[in-house]
Parts: sequence; C-alpha cells; structure tokens
Amino acid sequence: MAILEGRNLTKYFGALAAVNSVDFSVEKGEVLGMIGPNGAGKSTLFNVIMGVYKPDRGEVVLKGKTVSGLKPHKICRMGLAKTSQIVQPFTQMSVLENVLVGGLYGKNLSFANATREAEEILEFVDLGGLKEMASGSITVPHRRRLELARAIATGAEIILLDENMAGLNPTEIEEVLKLLRKIRNRGKTLIVVEHIMRVVMGISDRIIVLNYGEKIAEGTPSEVANDEKVIEAYLGEKVCFV
Amino acid sequence: MFRKLSPTLVVAIVISLLIVPFAGVSGYVIRLLAMIFFWIGKAGCWNIISGYTGYIDFGAVGYYGIGSYVTAILMSKGQVPFLFSILISGIVSALIALPIGLPTLRLKGAYFGIATLAFAEAIKQIILEFDKTVGVNFFEGPHGITLPIGPQNEFFYYIGVVVMIAVIGITYWIRRSKFGYALRAIHEAEHAAELSGVDTLRAKVKAYMISAFFLGLMGGVEAYWLTYITPHMVFDVLITIQMVVMSLLGGIGTVFGPVVGASFLTILYELLHRDFPYTYTIIVGFIVVVVVLLMPKGIIGTLQTKRVIQRTRLMQ
Amino acid sequence: MLLFLQSLLNGILLGGIYASYSAGFSLIFGVMGVINIFHGEMVMLGAFLTYWVFTLFHIDPFLTIPLSTISLFIFGYLVQRFVINRVVEEPPMISYILTFGIHLIIAYTALWVWTADFRTVTTSYSGFNANIGGMIVPYARLATFGLALFVVVGLYILLYKSEVGRAIQATAQDKEVARLMGVNINRIYAITFGVGAAITGIAGSLVSTYFIVYPQMGLPYTIIAFCVVVLGGMGYIPGALWGGLILGVVQSLTATYLNAGLSGAFTFILLFIMLVVRPAGIVGKGIVE
Repeated sequence: MAILEGRNLTKYFGALAAVNSVDFSVEKGEVLGMIGPNGAGKSTLFNVIMGVYKPDRGEVVLKGKTVSGLKPHKICRMGLAKTSQIVQPFTQMSVLENVLVGGLYGKNLSFANATREAEEILEFVDLGGLKEMASGSITVPHRRRLELARAIATGAEIILLDENMAGLNPTEIEEVLKLLRKIRNRGKTLIVVEHIMRVVMGISDRIIVLNYGEKIAEGTPSEVANDEKVIEAYLGEKVCFV
Repeated sequence: MFRKLSPTLVVAIVISLLIVPFAGVSGYVIRLLAMIFFWIGKAGCWNIISGYTGYIDFGAVGYYGIGSYVTAILMSKGQVPFLFSILISGIVSALIALPIGLPTLRLKGAYFGIATLAFAEAIKQIILEFDKTVGVNFFEGPHGITLPIGPQNEFFYYIGVVVMIAVIGITYWIRRSKFGYALRAIHEAEHAAELSGVDTLRAKVKAYMISAFFLGLMGGVEAYWLTYITPHMVFDVLITIQMVVMSLLGGIGTVFGPVVGASFLTILYELLHRDFPYTYTIIVGFIVVVVVLLMPKGIIGTLQTKRVIQRTRLMQ
Repeated sequence: MLLFLQSLLNGILLGGIYASYSAGFSLIFGVMGVINIFHGEMVMLGAFLTYWVFTLFHIDPFLTIPLSTISLFIFGYLVQRFVINRVVEEPPMISYILTFGIHLIIAYTALWVWTADFRTVTTSYSGFNANIGGMIVPYARLATFGLALFVVVGLYILLYKSEVGRAIQATAQDKEVARLMGVNINRIYAITFGVGAAITGIAGSLVSTYFIVYPQMGLPYTIIAFCVVVLGGMGYIPGALWGGLILGVVQSLTATYLNAGLSGAFTFILLFIMLVVRPAGIVGKGIVE
C-alpha cells in the first residue's frame, strides 16, 4: 500500500490553478523525484500535501488516512515533514535546540529523550560539532542540514525536500546526496524537488514531472528523460539529463 | 545561554521583601514598593505574551480593566469577599481572552497590534455606554464604581509580593519548559515551528490567556486599592504603554527585564508626576524611540547577548 | 425619513473628512510599510496651527491651509529622514512601536505647552447654514467636504500624473527595481512621508473649523484612520475615500439612532471585525502582511 497518495489535487490562486488534478503515490522507502520548470507548481503541491494550503479539490491520503485540510502541525505529528526552500532556523536558539523542538513537538518526547535523540541526529547528519552554536550564525549549507535534522527529529517517515540543495557547490551536493542515501537506508521515504537534474535523476527511484500545475509524465528516470512531453516542457532551458 | 537562578538567592530576596514593612520604613515607601511590584506584575504579564511570542499586544489594559470591573461589581454590589472576587476577575478575563485571542492571534504582527488596541478601546466604550443604552444600573458608566474601603497599604504590599513572584515565577518556568520552546520557536520562525509539529495557534492562545488571567486579577486588586474606578482610569491606553515600555526597556522576552524596567520607570514616575505631570510621558516616549533605534533588546537583553558573544568567542 | 437623510448627509460629509486624513496614513504604509501611530498628531498640529494663526493674526482658517501644507510637509520629511528611515526595512511592528513613542512625545509636549484646554475656531460665518431640501448643513462643512475631496483627488493626481508620483508608485511596487532605475529610495521615502503629513495637516486645518481642538485629539483620529484604511484596503488610496464614507455614515447613523457614545464603540468593533474577517479591506485590495 502506498504510504502517501495524492488524488486529483487541485489548488487555485484566484483564477489560476497552481496545481491541477494531480495524482501521485509514493511507496514506503521510495525516493520520488519531482521536477518541472519554474512555476510548475511543485512548491504549491508540497504546501498542499503539508497542510499549508487546503486543496480546492482532491485529497491527500497519508498511511490510509485523509489528511487534506488538517493543520500542518497535525500532519507533521502523523509522520510527514517538509524542508523549506528558504531555510528557517530558530535563529536565537542553538543548533541542538532547533532539533530539540522537532523531537519535543513532532514526536512528543520528554525533554531527556528529545535531547538524547537530537544529539544522535546531529551526529547522523554530521553537525555534532556545531550543536552549541547559535543557528543564526552557521553557514548556509549547515543550515540546510539543520533543517533536515529538524525534520528527521519530528519522527517523520516521509520527508519532503523542497530544493534543499539550491545554491550548493558540487562538493556540498555530493555530501547531501550521501546523507539522503543514509536517510533512505534507515527506511525513510523521500520526495525530492530539485532543479539540479543530476541529483534528481541520480537518487530517485521514480520521477513525476509537473508543468503548469499538471502532471505531464511519470516513470523511471530514463523513461522520463526520454519523454517527449518532458523535453518539450524544458525546451529552451539548459538542462543535463545524464 | 540562560543562567540558572540560585535558590538561596531567591529565598533571601523573598524573605527580605517580606520583612520590609516591619523594618520601620515609612508608609510612603511601602506604598511605592507595592506600586513597583504591581507594575512588575503587569509588565511581566505583557512580557509573557508579547515578549515570548513576538505578537505585540496593544490591548493588554482591556483585561486589566475587565478584572477591575468584575471585582468592583462583585465587591460593591454582591458583597463577595476580596480573594474570591479577584480570582473570578482573573478567570473572567482569561475566558474573554479565548474568543478574542483565537481570531486575532492568526493575524500578522502589526495587524494584531491594531486589533488588540481596537479591542481594548471597544470594551472601554461599551462599559461607558452600556447602562445608558440598555437602561440598567450595572456598570455605572462614566460615574464609576466605589468599592468598600480596603485595608492599609501593607496588605496590598504583601499581595503585590505574591503576585509579582507568581508572574516572574511563571515567566521563569515557561522559559525552561517545553511550552517555552514552542513560544520561542513561534517568535523566531512561526511557519517552521508549525511544520515541526508545534500547534502554534494553541500555544499563542495559551500564553495570551495566562497573561489575561493575571492582568484581570491585578486589575481586581488595584480596583480595591484605588477604592474608586471609572472606565477612563482602568482602560487607559497609557497603562498598556507603560507595560510595553517597561518590558522593552528592561529587555523584552527576558525574565527579569520587566523587573528592571518597571522599577526604573515607576520611580521615575514618582519623582516627576507631581511637579511635571507631562514630562514623565514625554520621557517615556523618548525611551521608546531610543530603545527601538539603539537598544532593541533592552537592558537585560543586551547584557545577555554580550555574554553569549563572549562565550562564543571563547569557544572558537 | 428626513432624520435619516440628514443623518446620512452628515455621515457623508464626515466621511469625506475622514477620507482626507486617512489617505496619508494609507499612502505611508503602502509605500514604505510603516504604520504611523502619530498620524493623529499631524492632524492635531495642523489644527493647532490654524487655531493659533486664526486667533493671533485673525486670518481665515481656510487661508491658513497653504501654511499647514508646507509646515507639515517639512515636519514629515525631516522626521522620516532622520528617525523613521532607520526602521523602514524592518517588520511593520517595529515602526508601530517607534511611532507610538513619537506619538507620546508630540502629544504630551503639546499638552505641556498648550495646556489641556479645549479650543475652537469660530469664524463669522460659522453659524450660517445652507438648507438643502429641508436638511440643514453649515456652509463651512460643505466647504470642508469639498476641500477634503479635493485633497484626495489631488493626491491621486500627484501619484499618477507627476514624475514624483510615478517614482513613489515604483518604490511602492518594487523597491529594488526602482532603485535600479535610478530612483533615490531614501529621498522618495522622505517625500512620501512629507506628502502624507502635508495632506493630513490640511485635513487638520479643515477639522479645526468644526471639531474641538485639543492636544490629545490625535489618538482617536489615528484609530479612525486605521478603521478607514482597513475598510478600504491598506495601501490602496481610492479605498480611503469610500472607507471614510462608510465609517462616517455608520458613525452618524449610530449617533442618531442609538447614542453618540456608542458610535465610538462601533468604530472599534467594526475595526476589530474587519481585521479578523477581511483584513484586505472590503474589496480585498489592501496589503496584508
């Protein structure tokens, strides 16, 4: 059974359908990539899944339960987490405290347990050395990893990554990819939105392609790379599918 | 980042406060100290909602005034004893805070400030006009309500000590609790907090109601102390301003900021208001401007940050 | 029926005045995201300026308008340039608190210097009324209404037909792009604030002709400006016009049929409800953070 499904999801902003009748499903342990030109509706779809927006039509089904229309914090507690395009650390709090919040509220742990888990998670994402630093003063790549750590701390089984690697250099991207594989090996499910094709193609088991709010293609990376509709959508954009 | 309080120090301070009225100080000093304690309490309440969540409340006096009126009516018309009255005042204020807080705490910063200001002014107007409009003799409108004569200043001094310790205690406890983390997360990145599982609306409303409860309770106590209240007195927007400035000056969001700010400004007020009634408020205005432009973290906040920077430097 | 029409007419005339001094508030927020709590003080200063010039030099209040325009423009420009400009990039809450401080300074200094006495500007023609179909309207009020509309229209023309106006609009829409196109953002901010202050000063002069003038009159006017602008849409100038009219009519009708004090309560309740239910204004064109 799919761990997360979207059925006929539609979201309007004014007269414009930012997401239009999108169906998708993700199996447990899968890595689903989501690509599409700028403005295709990927972030909006994530926001709909996460409860930030209520869909105008359709449902989001998480582990068999309909969650569309619930508030984000409830959806988080049910096992879904999302990283944001623009990272939002709790700047005055330390790196450890940031992750702590995830455990305290996403998983409803006690202080002692949440702290212990937070330290473990920070080691896992290789931020252990920075745990006392104010999160507002660490570098952007570190902040991205912190965002990921916080998502993991909430106990999420499915993590939505919204351009978590934007602006990173190739070495940093490799490190994040390694981390994502580690996370996936722990049994987590990932949905990855990225503009760096190499990354998405490399890590995804399957890919869905959005354009103008609609799903135009779906399949394995090579199927999608050779899909005419996809190539046409990206025509004019300099993209490397290898 | 947060120095733990030494229990011995706390006990020592509390004991000295309790002994003061027996140490032969003048009634004037006792009264002044009591005033300071109540302002610490009020500023502390404001700090719980606005300092921690960052939602700047400009209608706090609304709950203070509601509490004043509840106690005034209960004691003068209902012969309800003082302690019950103030407790009911607190509860009524907290209950009113729920339907007010739920819709307004969804608004972004400045709109929340405007909405809460509108709320406080609306309640004032309603109490002013209610009797005339409905044709009863309940709130007494602009004539005000007279309460039974209360005990000496020492009585209110001790109530002040208890309330002040309660408010500071709760502020301190919140800071180190799970609830405190939620509030701080809301302040720093509300959307991220919501995505991390924090029920942001519930946390905000909870803080708002706690603040309203104590404000209502204090309104009740001070109504008894003043013996006579009118809407203009207990719904005065200047009361909110004082709470804001005291917290801002002392250090918004810190536990002892309100203590520093309230003490300083109450003493300043005492020195100025008899001979230079308007000067005090003008100075308050200047303090606001200076704090916002030069010292947004207030006195304690700035000191805390300096310490953090020093410690971070030592770590590197 | 006549009572209703008279009340309605009074409300419309009142609303025009409200619109004229709320437009400045909306403009300032729309262009630089600043919530100006001492807005009412600028009405007060305009009113006092007219009062003193009238009382000391016997110049007709309507003739003092150029004076209040220029004085308040300079005042607004300087305050923005040296104080407010430091917080324009911050969230609006910061400017709210800052301008609250400035409100205290201005209002209480005025209270200190001019005392709390109520003052009025009573001209030789103050008592003369026009009779429109059985409804009584003081000539002075008709004149002030006309001028108030003129102010709002004038602002509109300034914004859309002049080069400065276009620069202001560009800054409001996209600061960075405007900067790239050579607009001196800081100067535009200062000018915008000056313009907002100036038209508010004019409104203050007009207001002095039939409302009481006293140092603490500012805050109620600020709250009315809030209400007008939230009704019409924050940052949307035409909205100030009929936001003002709606509020004026609501207040007038409440005062006539219920009681005068309640009209105040209604203003606040209306403001509260608007913010909670529809913060973008009735037409939904206002800026919501």
